[in-house]
Amino acid sequence: MTTTIAERDVALIDLIDRLLGGGVVIAGDITLAVADVDLVYVQLRALIASVATANEKNVLPRLGSAS
Amino acid sequence: MIELYAVVDHPGPRLPTLARLRTAATTRLAAIYAPADDGEISPERLWRHEEIVEALMQDRDLLPVRYGTRLDDERAATRFLTDREEPLVSALDDVRGAVELAVRVLRTGERPDARSRPDPVTSGAEYLRRKAGSAAAERSATLAVHEPLSAAARRDVRRPSSVTGELLRAAYLVDRNRVDEFVSLVARLQDANPALRLLCTGPWPPYSFAER
Repeated sequence: MTTTIAERDVALIDLIDRLLGGGVVIAGDITLAVADVDLVYVQLRALIASVATANEKNVLPRLGSAS
Repeated sequence: MIELYAVVDHPGPRLPTLARLRTAATTRLAAIYAPADDGEISPERLWRHEEIVEALMQDRDLLPVRYGTRLDDERAATRFLTDREEPLVSALDDVRGAVELAVRVLRTGERPDARSRPDPVTSGAEYLRRKAGSAAAERSATLAVHEPLSAAARRDVRRPSSVTGELLRAAYLVDRNRVDEFVSLVARLQDANPALRLLCTGPWPPYSFAER
């Protein structure tokens, strides 16, 4: 996708939904540890918070119970 | 160890010269993989993975593989393709010529009737009645977005929301030649629903439609 930095941060939620929650699953072969996934969500929350701060309208989502 | 990116038709177009990509093939299918590299997961790594799958998507149909899927070697990848050949071929046929669009609908906090100041709430029952009324209004507004988008798509899936104030999180499988039409429809629905904020991203590889 061709996007600006802020759009990329917004799209990160969609990216994570897809890469970590979609796609062909080969049983037993996912090596991604739960701790790794948690780390992604922690970084995501930091990114979203910084985008939300920069956005006057403040309509960007806050990450809820995802982690 | 190898890391898998996508399952594609075999034979297919030449691979882009990216990330040392290779294929493991059977008679009808190929798995595209690269040597796995270690390191901590981060948004940058996820984007790098995504860029490779999107580069492949430019000139071929594909089933993206879940991020982090690793196998011992090419032979293991070939064995996986052979074991799952029929369902993989059908799933690939289902997404042929299509891409995925993501749409999320958020509450803006401004309701259409919020310009006039609401009467003060005089009782608990009145409060509950209003709360139920606004929840129903939100549900119907969300459907007013989802239903036309669903009609413009080949298939759709709704995902559970993990974000406060998010009313809809959905994926739509859209024909490649109808993506512009779909995006215009999103813009029209945004104009028609000022109390909602529509976020549309893509086109994505068909991650949400890779498994039947």
